[in-house]
This record gives sequence, structure tokens and C-alpha cells, in this order.
Amino acid sequence: MDLSRRGFLQAAALTAAASGLTVACGGGSGSAGSKNGKNLTLWYWGGALSDKVVAEAKTHFSGQVKLTAASIGGDFKQKLTTTLAAGASVPDITGIKGEDMASFLPNAGRFLDLNDLGFKKIASQYLDWKTKLARTEDGKQIGFPIDIGPTALFYRADLFDKAGLPTDPDKVAARAGTWEEYFALGTELHRKVPGTYLVNNIGSVFNMAVGQGTERFIDKDNRFIGDQDHIRKAWTTAVRPYTLGLDAKINDNTWNAAVGKTLTTELGAAWHALDIEQAAPKTKGKWRVCAMPGGPANQGGSYLALPKQCRNPEEAFKIISWILSPENDARGFTDAAIFPAAPAAYSMSAMTGGDPFFGGQKIIEVFGPAAKAIPSSYEAPADAAVMAPFMTELSSIEAKGKKPDDAWKDAVGQAKQIARRQGVS
Amino acid sequence: MASPPVTGSAAVPRHHGGPGPARFRPRRTPPADTVRPGRRGVLSHWRQYLAISPFFLIFGVFSFFPVFYSLYLSFQRWDGLGTVQFVGLQQFRFLWDDPVFWLSIRNTLVIWVLSTVPTLFGALVLATLLHSVRRFKGFYRIALYIPNVTSIVAVSIFFGAVFSNNFGLVNAILGTVGIPPVAWLSNPWLIKLVIALLMTWMWTGYNMIIYLAGLQAIPTQIYEAAKLDGAGPIRTFFRITVPIMRPIILFTVVISTINGLQSFSEPQVLFGSNAANPNLGGPGQAGLTTLLYFYQSAFVNNDYGYGAAIVWAFFVLIMVLVVINWRVVQRGRKS
Repeated sequence: MDLSRRGFLQAAALTAAASGLTVACGGGSGSAGSKNGKNLTLWYWGGALSDKVVAEAKTHFSGQVKLTAASIGGDFKQKLTTTLAAGASVPDITGIKGEDMASFLPNAGRFLDLNDLGFKKIASQYLDWKTKLARTEDGKQIGFPIDIGPTALFYRADLFDKAGLPTDPDKVAARAGTWEEYFALGTELHRKVPGTYLVNNIGSVFNMAVGQGTERFIDKDNRFIGDQDHIRKAWTTAVRPYTLGLDAKINDNTWNAAVGKTLTTELGAAWHALDIEQAAPKTKGKWRVCAMPGGPANQGGSYLALPKQCRNPEEAFKIISWILSPENDARGFTDAAIFPAAPAAYSMSAMTGGDPFFGGQKIIEVFGPAAKAIPSSYEAPADAAVMAPFMTELSSIEAKGKKPDDAWKDAVGQAKQIARRQGVS
Repeated sequence: MASPPVTGSAAVPRHHGGPGPARFRPRRTPPADTVRPGRRGVLSHWRQYLAISPFFLIFGVFSFFPVFYSLYLSFQRWDGLGTVQFVGLQQFRFLWDDPVFWLSIRNTLVIWVLSTVPTLFGALVLATLLHSVRRFKGFYRIALYIPNVTSIVAVSIFFGAVFSNNFGLVNAILGTVGIPPVAWLSNPWLIKLVIALLMTWMWTGYNMIIYLAGLQAIPTQIYEAAKLDGAGPIRTFFRITVPIMRPIILFTVVISTINGLQSFSEPQVLFGSNAANPNLGGPGQAGLTTLLYFYQSAFVNNDYGYGAAIVWAFFVLIMVLVVINWRVVQRGRKS
């Protein structure tokens, strides 16, 4: 290579300039475009919406616009963030996962306010606590709720029967009304049916217990409250099954193998039913669902949003309010086990039938009331990041036998650091 | 597998237009009296530069620019979408106080040592064995190299299933001889061991091929002489093979350092199904490598400034290790 230093520098400068040019071009082309475009793109991920309803939306609106739906795989949030930051090829309609919503709210300016497009009029059809989670403090609505994840207690009726415990959902719910009662039930179960466990891991208990409250790790004034009583109480609840020996300590995909064998109960959202069904098809008919100890929580559930670059906001809003109308929501439940955020759907025939996996139980009778009773909480943008050390330390208790009190101290210490890094005081 | 046909450059006619053989002159010996080619010389090769430019353009856009942009980001606070806010050295101060960062460094180094030492030693032994094999040479070479061309994700999923705590193959085999199940993917040391084992399995074949090439370059006369002098196979290995192979071994050490310290996919996939936190390296964060922690901070927690600080601090650490490596090489040469 006969390349002199000057030549190299020239080449480097040229390359840098070229790359700068590329970036500049990329940024420029996105913002242009009229607001009554005929082509709309929709980004979602597999299972976020009913594919059948999306396909129908295409034909239903074919007179006005051409809707192109893309099922995006991999890390959806990351891809959406990158695209929004680049400002080019931004989808006109996009899904946002419930757990990511909080981190998008500080950048609400990247999305259209759905209230301006008519969401205010139909907002009462959707659960208020869910809608609120996609609204900024100054009242900008960026997310249109797709579904929710009301939680319940799944249990093996056959094993309950074997242990001489009640198997009827109402009776089980009455026997396991509080966490302490639930653990007492588990102790009895564990004694009478050896080799079985009540919970798969204590992180899931913690997650549920935190979700039952109205406060999480950061309050509305952006202060860290993860060391306060409500979290400490959830922590103590989570550690109980571990000290009682009711914890299966499953933190990996062996859950698939364990769920049909050693686990007697599962705490999970409505969509968790499908996980159990897929992992343990042989246990069909043996499971039942009842209200969760200590009240319902929410896990997951997504939104549709319109990025600012949306080429035809009016039509796009019409499309999403059609896809997410209570009638179509109910169909989403039949097609893809998407639990609607519109309570009107709960009384529709698509949802009121018995589920053969749960021995014909009408599970909507458990999830419907749970959905309406979920407490409205505030979730800060950094909430998920601050919660992570608590989950990690709980798994350390399980994996290494770390003392729960030491684990608590380490979790709070780390959570405080993460909070400070994320600009929480 | 037959050795590739020898096609030296001498067989290729050189005059295809252009200024001729002067271009191929070794760089360090410019004729004292000729004028340096300068700008016009560079321009006259524009076709060649154009031909190689796609690589440099892509490299510039997707590697060169991001690398320096991340340096810029490490002094900012940025959530990926909002405004970029200058915070000076704050991210590095956070880093200094962050026990998880230091834990990730320790994890990375332990996994690196646990994987590199057996990999290189095993590769050398295998290469020596394979060098003396008479039949099925090609088969062995391919068989040992295949792990390296297999997707890391697939291998990780496979290892995850084999070493699974509750229903894994290894524990099932241990069970048949009466050994109670081992918590491979829960115990902090065993987690590292499994990751190291995975990397060893993937990289032994690759290093073996390099060693084999080196071994084949050693003249057989040396071995014959040693044999005549009465040296056994082990003595020959340590007194002849290893010293002659020294530069090749050092090359593989450097490559293995670079690869080994960048372990990311292995723990990410192994513990990706972890219910509590998919990107924190499993129970007790024992499999949390520095790159995984970077990924977690930047792309999961949306803290791009902190993520950038992590990788740049890690870069400094790798540089320190490189300098140590280099010193070791220099000392080896003098003695």
C-alpha cells in the first residue's frame, strides 16, 4: 500500500464528509410529505393485534387509503426508537408495548395527540387506568389502548382435590384472599402432595405485589420511593414463599417442563393462560382460574400510537379506532388471546364462552371484574430500570441463598444509583 | 482435504497497464532520488480507490462514525429520542461508583480466562494430534471446525438445554450414576463455567486450524533430528513445537483476547428467557459480561450516555491488556 499519511487523512476526511452527508439526507426526507397521504403503514409485532382484523381493516378502508401492515420481529422498542430518532421511514401507525410506554412519554412530542383526533369522545369505552398510563401529565394522549393483562391465580384443580382442598374457583378465591392465606394454602398443599411448589419464582410474586399498589418506585415529583414501605411490604411478601419452602426457584425456560408437573399454581395475566396451554397441553381440563390473592394487578398490554410524521392522521385514527372497537377487540380475544381494554367486549359472546382448557370454566367471570378493579398507578419513565435490581436480588436469594435482608439493602442501593443516573432525585 | 494449489504471484503477468511494477515496491525502500508521487499519484489511481471505496464508505458510516459518536455520547445524557444534555464526566463518576459495572468486569475476565486457556491449550494438543494422523485428515479438520461456523445463538440454546438445572441432559446423565442434579445455570461459578465451556467448544477448532497450518510449516528434518537424538514425543512437543510456534501462539492469544472479552451473545441467549430480567446475565448477575451490561444500560434502560461510558471504560481496559500482552511479547523476544 503506497498510501501517504496525507492521502490517508484526505481519504478519512472524505469518508467522514460522505457519512455526514448520508445522515443529513436521511434526516431531511422524513419531514416532508402531505397530511392526506394515500399510503399508510402499520407496525406491530406478532400477537399484538388479531391478524384477521388487520387484514379486514385493509379491505374495509381500501376506498380511502392503502394500508400496509408490517409485523416487526426482534426488539420492537429499539427499532421504533431508532426509526423515530432518524426521522425517516417512520410508520404512520405503530404499536407500543405497555412496558415501554412510560419511556416514550417524555418524548410525547414525537407523537400526535389522539385527543385532537377524537379520542376524547370514545375514551369512556376504554378502561381509565389503562388510558391514563399513555397520557402525559399535561393531558396529551399518545397511546390508544389495545389490550390489558389483568392477573389472576391459575391453579391445578386436580392437585387441589388430591390434597383435600376446595377446587371451586369461588371457594379457592375465598381461601386465598390474602397473600398470607394463599401461602398457608400452599403449605398445606406442599405437605399433602410432596414434590410440588406453589410459585415458580419469587420475582413473579414481587412483580404482582408491586402491581397491586397505586405507587411504584418513583413518584410524580420524580423522587425515588423504592425504599419505602409499600415496596418493602411487597418484598417481604415475595420472600415468604422462599422461607416457607414453597418456591420452585425456576428462573429459566425449564418453566416449560415444570408447569405441568411440579407447579400447583401460577400467578399470571390473562394471556398467561396461553403459555400454560402451550407448555403443558396434557394438563388440559385440570386448570382453573380464580381471583388473585390481595387483588388484581396488571401485566403487559399494549397501545397503538400515531407518530408525528403520520401521513394522514384523520384516516389513521379512523383505522385504529375501527381495529380497536369493542366488537373487533372481542374478536382479537378469540383469534389471539388479546384481552380487550374495552369492558363492553367482556359481555360479548366471543368472550363469555367456557374455556375447555379450564374445564369449561367461563374465565371472563374472573378476568372481567379483575380488569375493572386494577388500581390506577403512576409509572415513571425510569420505573422499569429502577425495578430491575430488585428482581435481580430476588433471583440471587434463590440462586445463591443470599440473605434476604442483605439482598434488600443491595437492591435499594443499586436502585438508587440507577435512579440517580436516570435523573431521578 | 488437499492442501490448496500453490499459485504464487510470480505466475501472474504483471503488466496490465498502469504505471507498472513500481507500485509493488516494498514501502520502506523508496529510491532516494525520485520525487514522491504526491496528489497526482493518488488521483491517477482513482479507479482502484473507487473499487475499494464501498468497504470504506460502509465502514465509515456504520463503524467509524458510531465509534466516535459514542465517545461524544459518553459525556451526555440521552434517552435516544429527547434532547442531548451535556453532563461532563458525570457518567464516568457514576461508573466508578457502580458495583454492577465492576462485577461485570470481573465476570468478563473470569470467563475470558476460563475459556481462553483451555481453548488454546486444547487447540495446540489437537493440532499436534491431527498433524500426525494419517487417514481421514479432512474429516477431522471439518468436524473440529464446524462448531466455529455454527450460529452462536443456536449453540447457546443447545447448551442451555443440555445444562438446564431441572431437566437438562447433563443432569439426567449424572442422575443415572446416582449424582444429584447440579445447578449449572444458577450457581455463580458454574454459570461462568458453562459460558466458558461454550466458548471453548466454539473456538478450539478455529485455533486448531491456525496451529495446524503453523505445524505444517515446521520442516520435518528438525523432528527427525530430535528423534535420532532420542527425544520422546512430549519432549519434542515442548522443546521444538512450542518454541517454533511461538509467534503463531501469540497471534492466537491476541485474537482470543479480543474475542473472549467481547462475550455477549452467549450469556444474552443463555439467560434471555430469564423471567425476572432477560438482559442481566442470569441469577446473581453471574453471567453479566461488560458488553451485556452496556446493552442493558443503553438499549433496555434507554441510558445511552451511560452505555457509551461503559464501552469506553471497557475500551481503556482492553488497551491495558493489549499493552501487557505486547510487553510479554517483547520480553519473549529478548530472552
